Formats: sequence, C-alpha cells, structure tokens
Amino acid sequence: MASKSDNTAARPVSAKVVVSGGFGVGKTTFVSAVSEIAPLRTEAKMTSAATGVDDATFVQQKTSTTVAMDFGKITVDEGLVLYVFGTPGQDRFGFMWNDITAGALGALILVDTRRLDECFNAIDFFESRDVPFIIGLNQFDGAPEHDPELIREALDLSDAVPIMRTDARTPDTALDTLVALLSHILESLSAAAAASPTPAPDSREPDREAPVVSDAQRSAAMSALAAERG
Amino acid sequence: MSHVEEESGSFVRSYLLTGGRTRSDAGDIAIEAMVAVSPDSSAPRDIDLARIYDLCAEPNSIAEISAKCSLPLGVARVLVADLWGAGTLEILETTRSDDIAIVRRLLDGIQKR
Repeated sequence: MASKSDNTAARPVSAKVVVSGGFGVGKTTFVSAVSEIAPLRTEAKMTSAATGVDDATFVQQKTSTTVAMDFGKITVDEGLVLYVFGTPGQDRFGFMWNDITAGALGALILVDTRRLDECFNAIDFFESRDVPFIIGLNQFDGAPEHDPELIREALDLSDAVPIMRTDARTPDTALDTLVALLSHILESLSAAAAASPTPAPDSREPDREAPVVSDAQRSAAMSALAAERG
Repeated sequence: MSHVEEESGSFVRSYLLTGGRTRSDAGDIAIEAMVAVSPDSSAPRDIDLARIYDLCAEPNSIAEISAKCSLPLGVARVLVADLWGAGTLEILETTRSDDIAIVRRLLDGIQKR
C-alpha cells in the first residue's frame, strides 16, 4: 500500500468532454486518435421504458437493449485527467446521454457533410443544455469539401459556434480539434463570467461533494436489474 | 455490502451482487469520477468487489471500472457507491463544468502534445 504522501500525489482531478454526432460519423475513431490508451467500451442496459423510438419497439418480448459507449483518456499532468466520451449511436436520447453530458465541459459534434441531418439531434441536445460545442466536419475519402459557412447556414448555427474541418483518423488533426474545442469552452466561460460580475460557482452542484443516488439513477439501475432477470 | 446470494439460474452474477437493493447511501457518481482505495483499507472478501478494489490501487474512473471489470455502468456505480459508503474506496474530485482554471490547464497541457 502506498504511503499517504504518495496517495495525495496520485489523486488526480478528472474532467470530461463529449464527442457526438450521427451514426458512423467517426466518433470512436476520433476517441481513439486522441486517447493515450486503447479506447475502452462500457455498456448499459436500455430498458423498454427508455427505448423510445429505438429498435426494441418492433421486437416482441425484447425488454432491453445494450447500449455501448467508447471512451478514451488523456493524462494532462500529474493531477489532471481528461476523459473523452463518445455518445452511443443507439440510445439516442436516453439516460446514457445524460450520464455522459452531466458535468461535461463541452462537446465536439462530428459531421459527415454527405449526411448533415444525422447531427441535428446532437446539436439540439447540446444547445438545449447550454453545453458549449464546436462542429467538426470529418473528412471522408471521396466526400466533397464544403464551405464551412454554407454548413453553418444549413445547420442554422450562430456565428459563435466554431466550424472546422477535421480528420478523425489523424491523431495530430484530432488533437488540434480537441484544442479548438477547449479554446471555445474557455471563450464561452470567459464570456459568461464577464456577463455576470458576481458569480458564485462554489454554491452550485453540492451533489459533487457528497454523492447521493438520485431516484432516477437508482430506478434506471434497478430497471436494468429487473430487465436482466425478466 | 450484503453478501452474495447463492442462487442458481441464468442471472448475471454481477446483478446479484447488488442484491436487488433499492437503497444505497452513496452513488450519484459522475462516470468520469476517479475512484481510489482508501488509505489503510483492506480488500473486500467478495471476489468481484476485490477486483474493483485491486483495480483502484491506481485511480480509475467509474467508466474504466465498468469497462475493465466487464460490469454494466449502473452496476459498477452501485458497487463503487457501496464500497465508498463502507469507507473502502474514495471518490476523487471531478471538475465543475465552469472551472476556467481547469480548462486553461487542459488547453495548455494538450497544446504541448
């Protein structure tokens, strides 16, 4: 067992950002490009109550579906770790999105310009929750390159949202995109701080200090248990 | 933590570990929250809990515990919450989403790569 001083040194603070976008847009590829570890996958059960419009509707007696999310990790310094979570392609609006988004610093929404409509849901999701986000136009072989300003118009995005080309397959480019996201988050926070001269951030999010199981979370876990047994 | 019920059938064992409880003293834990063993604690007897404990000799997030121990996220969270409640594990600090200093540090650190 490590000594106390060792323990203190090895107790980093963690933060997270989200990579989102439509199906097959390169989320996992992006996570793997920026991560220092091979991307990990974690799963949760999506019960019938949470399936909504998803695929379980037409399958009789199917009470649960597994949703998977991939994530990676960047050790920024000895005391700070950044997790990069990809939103699951299935569970489009479900509890896993809330898990992933709660407390996130910001999001990168990847877009395949040939299938623009695939990213609408993600944009709505992060816009409605006031999570700062940027748009990454992912490069696909053979896909035409569009003027980002035309994309802005097509997606009905404000000028404040950065739109940039990226290539999820190339670690350097992907890291540049992550830097662009963090810069945008910094700008958003600075603007918000300037707008409200007397912020009292310390009085917020008391649950972070002393975690308590929320009813919703508990019922989700218990539904998963029930589904597994049923 | 209640003991594991001995029960035959097709249940996934990890679900049995939670014992169908509807109560837990801890656990609205962020998926990125890191978990580490408490100083002077000892490994739980239960083999699955001991796996989590061993993994957390180095801090690991809830998401990592779920992935590395092949436990569904909700189950990993409940088990960690229990071990936290028992004082066996510590849950480390996560950043607030409006922490400008942390974002600056992230930006500096990642730009250097």
